[in-house]
Amino acid sequence: MIEMQDVWKEYENGVTALSGVSVRIPQGSFVYVVGPSGAGKSTFIKLMYRQERPTKGHIFVGGFNIERLRESQIPIMRRHVGVVFQDYKLLQQLTVAENIAFALEVIEASRRTIQKRVQEVLELVGLEDKRNMLPRELSGGEQQRVAIARALVNKPKVVVADEPTGNLDPDNSWAILKLLERVNDRGTTIVMATHNRELVNACKKRVIAIENGRISRDEERGDYGYED
Amino acid sequence: MAMKIRTIGRHGREGFKNLFRNGWMTFAAISAVAVTLLILGASLVLSVNIQSMSLNIENQLQFNAYVSDRVPNKELPKLAHELRSIHGVRTVTFISKAEGLKRMKQILQSNSDLINGLGNPLPNEFVLQVNNPHQIPQIANEVKHVRGIEKVQYGASVVPKLLSVMTIVRDTAIIFIAGLIVMGMFLISNTVKITIFTRRREIEIMKLVGATDGFIRGPFFVEGTLMGIFGALIPSVLLYEGYRWIRHQVALFPPFSLLPTPYVMDRVVLVLLACGLFIGVWGSLVSMRKFLRV
Ligand SMILES: Nc1ncnc2c1ncn2[C@@H]1O[C@H](COP(=O)(O)OP(=O)(O)OP(=O)(O)O)[C@@H](O)[C@H]1O
Ligand SMILES: [Mg+2]
Repeated sequence: MIEMQDVWKEYENGVTALSGVSVRIPQGSFVYVVGPSGAGKSTFIKLMYRQERPTKGHIFVGGFNIERLRESQIPIMRRHVGVVFQDYKLLQQLTVAENIAFALEVIEASRRTIQKRVQEVLELVGLEDKRNMLPRELSGGEQQRVAIARALVNKPKVVVADEPTGNLDPDNSWAILKLLERVNDRGTTIVMATHNRELVNACKKRVIAIENGRISRDEERGDYGYED
Repeated sequence: MAMKIRTIGRHGREGFKNLFRNGWMTFAAISAVAVTLLILGASLVLSVNIQSMSLNIENQLQFNAYVSDRVPNKELPKLAHELRSIHGVRTVTFISKAEGLKRMKQILQSNSDLINGLGNPLPNEFVLQVNNPHQIPQIANEVKHVRGIEKVQYGASVVPKLLSVMTIVRDTAIIFIAGLIVMGMFLISNTVKITIFTRRREIEIMKLVGATDGFIRGPFFVEGTLMGIFGALIPSVLLYEGYRWIRHQVALFPPFSLLPTPYVMDRVVLVLLACGLFIGVWGSLVSMRKFLRV
């Protein structure tokens, strides 16, 4: 469950990115966040994993009161929220399997858990045969699947993705969306900011449109709805 | 929070690798610390030895007071008593005219007939030992004004002068070394800062997947601390062997001798390691505080 109550975000430079956003996203939903460039989509997403703090308002994600979170609690919260980016953020010197294992190593998981979980997510994203390859030996779509595998390896309740298909061709974008749908089928909440009209229109989900820092539209099984 | 052995091993490994990631910076930082601690160590060795030498000199700190010939022999004990009661005087020893002459003849030996025809030209004499070398000029002055004392003579106050020069040298050295230590910390923190910068992508991912601050800091802490320790080990070895060698050389000229090697160097090495550790820990903490904010 994700909930925002009258959330405002003003950056240090005085730009107001969000002005009074309230929203409720039940556990297990799949939500697209759409809107023009600079509307505040990334800000909306960053608030959910405490990359940014709200200037005002309340945010709850998976039982954590995000804006009240103590510094020492942030790492714990992050283990319950998977994050996926447009640029994958993989470590170039590590193999596919090592990149995924990294997420578990740095939270001091046991060797057995790491082995087991890495194998599970590799199967889920269909990259077992490429487990020993380096990121630069993979296509963009495959790299993004590794990044998603890494986001899933902690079994998070929520996965937020900021333009995960932004760098991908239509086929690869479609594969990523199908993968995220499969993750969603297992009960994980997915919040995905996107500019990809085809995906949004072809695969109907709840659509939250943000314009000028405000939610301008919120529809179940909505359309992309912009001409950009 | 108890840290797993495996985690400590990982921090150690990563921290060690960090040292080589920006090898030249590491080299510069370690060298700076090493030079600093070499100077610190050398001054310590020197000052410990000078102190023990001056303690030896201080132990025999004394001066002479000559008695006027007009004072009759039976008054001498009273005079001795008066001198003994002066504040700061530890012992008073009487040397009679005759005894003085005997000593003089011993010193002159074969040339003693030079003074044979003169009768005894020496006065009665007191030798005064004092508690504190710095007080000699003052006490001597007081003694000079005692009735019956004709003249006082002390070793041109070499010792107090030596001591005050040593104090100045020591204070200058402390300031100088403090400056060098700050520079060492700065270089280490700068090196750690650069490592943090070159690893910012890993740090970013660590934060995103929920690594704790302590875990993220581990390798950088190890890196800085290792630089400090290596910076201390180098001058420790150099000084230890150097002191052993110099002591050996000095021992060839009998009246001089340096304090035993383990006695001096075990402490000096401990001090250097403690300083290196402190510099390293502090240097890495400074840059982590600045550059590893969540
Ligand atoms: N770190 C920041 N500091 C200052 N201003 C920022 C920061 N991040 C975003 N902004 C501003 O906040 C506003 C919203 O930015 P945001 O990144 O949320 O937009 P977006 O909807 O994700 O846009 P896009 O579709 O181009 O990714 C913009 O005006 C942007 O300039
Ligand atoms: Mg954005």
